[in-house]
Amino acid sequence: MHSTVAAPPVLTAVAVAKSYGPTVALAGVSLQIAAAESVAVMGASGSGKTTLLHCLAGIIEPDAGAVTLAGPQGALRVDTLGPEGRSRLRRQHYGFVFQQGLLLPELTALENVALPLLLDGVDRHRAEAEAAHWLAQLGLTGMEERRPGQLSGGQQQRVAVARAQVGSPSVVFADEPTGALDSRTSEQVVTALLQTTTGAGRSLVVVTHDQRVAAVCDRVLELSDGLIVNEHVNRRRAA
Amino acid sequence: MRTATRLTGLMLRRSTDANRASLALPVVAFAVVTALTLTVLGGARFFFTIEGPTAPLYQSLAALAVTLLLIPLLTLCGSAARLSARRRDQHLSTLRLLGAPTRTITTMTVLESTVLAAAGTLLGVLGHLALAPLLGLLTFHGERLGAGHILLGVSGTLLCLVGLILMASVSALVGLRGVVVSPLGVRTRQSAPRLSWARAVAVVAALGAGMLAAQALRIDQGTLSIVVGLAVSFGLTMAVLNLVGPWVLGVVARRQVRRAGGRFTAERLLAARTVLDNPRAAWRQVSGVALTSFVAVFAGVGLAFTNVLAAGGSTPEDDLLLADLRTGIALTLVISFVTVAASVAVNQGADILERRELFTSLERIGMPLDGMDRARRLAVLSPLRVVALGSAAAAALLVLPLTGTVLLTDPLSLGTIAALLAAGIAVVWVALRATSPLLARVVADA
Repeated sequence: MHSTVAAPPVLTAVAVAKSYGPTVALAGVSLQIAAAESVAVMGASGSGKTTLLHCLAGIIEPDAGAVTLAGPQGALRVDTLGPEGRSRLRRQHYGFVFQQGLLLPELTALENVALPLLLDGVDRHRAEAEAAHWLAQLGLTGMEERRPGQLSGGQQQRVAVARAQVGSPSVVFADEPTGALDSRTSEQVVTALLQTTTGAGRSLVVVTHDQRVAAVCDRVLELSDGLIVNEHVNRRRAA
Repeated sequence: MRTATRLTGLMLRRSTDANRASLALPVVAFAVVTALTLTVLGGARFFFTIEGPTAPLYQSLAALAVTLLLIPLLTLCGSAARLSARRRDQHLSTLRLLGAPTRTITTMTVLESTVLAAAGTLLGVLGHLALAPLLGLLTFHGERLGAGHILLGVSGTLLCLVGLILMASVSALVGLRGVVVSPLGVRTRQSAPRLSWARAVAVVAALGAGMLAAQALRIDQGTLSIVVGLAVSFGLTMAVLNLVGPWVLGVVARRQVRRAGGRFTAERLLAARTVLDNPRAAWRQVSGVALTSFVAVFAGVGLAFTNVLAAGGSTPEDDLLLADLRTGIALTLVISFVTVAASVAVNQGADILERRELFTSLERIGMPLDGMDRARRLAVLSPLRVVALGSAAAAALLVLPLTGTVLLTDPLSLGTIAALLAAGIAVVWVALRATSPLLARVVADA
């Protein structure tokens, strides 16, 4: 199945395939993700959804197919970049939210959020000012100097959401962002994630098992055995 | 017993690549501790065979060197035991949650610790046998030491091995309290409060082991009292340093956090925050160098000054003694830094394996491997530099008029000590670099 959208795509995958030894994780997936669109990728364990996210995000190299990002300086072939190029791409064009937040326990919330900018050589004062802005956007004013260990699970995940937004990435990838949270906190985190991504003109690709998360995304792709077997647009969101 | 033995065997055999690395690290650490402890004690024993008017001086200095080296060696031994415990806790707390009885858990703990420590100590004996001919080339008291004088002998070696294996088992049993009392606490990586009496027991056990070792080495009562006196005075000095050291590292790290900027801001910030997060752990890793550097500079200045005073008017015996003291200082510094380097390598290896998810997430957000490596290196080398150079500077300041005189009249002596300190820091740097492939593999395997 070839997934398409009407708006100009920011990210395009064509016949992306990936195998791990004899196991086929992706069997030729094609899709497009539009600017300011949120896409949920669902499927059973082992269906290939995390591998798809990793290929789109330039974390791993696909065996075949092409992944293209429509960046500010023109189209960029993600799949042909070397390790350093992919590393730079992830720093400059992508944001990430992981299941456990995975914040650095030694750094403060402010420093954790500023980290991608610091890695990119942005001046510390500017990086921390932007980080403080995003923490405020996510309702974490006053918690800048706290360490992850001093924050609740939901607060930690919101710090991770803030970290994914600094540097204004084109696409934010989230891998089971609510997997470790209770339902009420999940709702808060997903709302924050959508507001800061699609609400600000960015695209969001979220891998999830949670139907409630999928329900608030614009589009849902269902994977099985490394292929998109179902796709639907959420009416409420489309409206 | 049979169930515990079978389960322990199964866990040791069915290891993944990363688990195998976490199995190998404590074994390597115990091997290094054993090789160095046997070599240091064996070498020290030589001085108790010397006769003549200078014998008591040589014996006191040998006891001093052993006391100085015991601190980093015990730190390394502690790292090995902690590393072994961290690996085991993951398995044991799961078994505990599944309802395994306390006796099975206890037996498994003792078995695994003993097996790993025994494997390490046996490798360490081979290391001791390999080091002996090399160190036997050194000249002391006018004669070449020879490998035979470095080898500790069967009874001393056996006593050392039993002591080290016992230490591993006891520390594993103490660490087990967390699993037995609160399996969830360990499974979710919450640290249980440490019991202060355990440290007191460890100190008493170490003193007892020392007395036994002294008897095995046939050290006479007079010398034994010198050793005990030295151990107590150095113990007190270390206690004071242990109070001040972490505080100083914390102050320096706080300043580095404030001032982190420029090209490697993220790495500098991360390194300084790592030290600030647990200054005591940062201190523990490098504390062995503090006293060694201090004594090396203090004694080095003293020796150089004596050399200057005695220029032209010294007897051959004086020259011999001065040459031996210089060799002894250099040797103590080298062994101290090698021990710290081994400790750093073991701790860093464990840290990489324990925080693999975090390192993977950093790689995904675009932090290059070089950057992660740089942050790790800074987090170790910065406290090491502060401790080594700070202690050396403190010693030089303490004998300032003499330091000035020696700088003008015999700069080569101080230059040699400075070169040794720099080489020591370089050895630790090499140890850190040796763990880089493990980081690359962990990130690539994720």
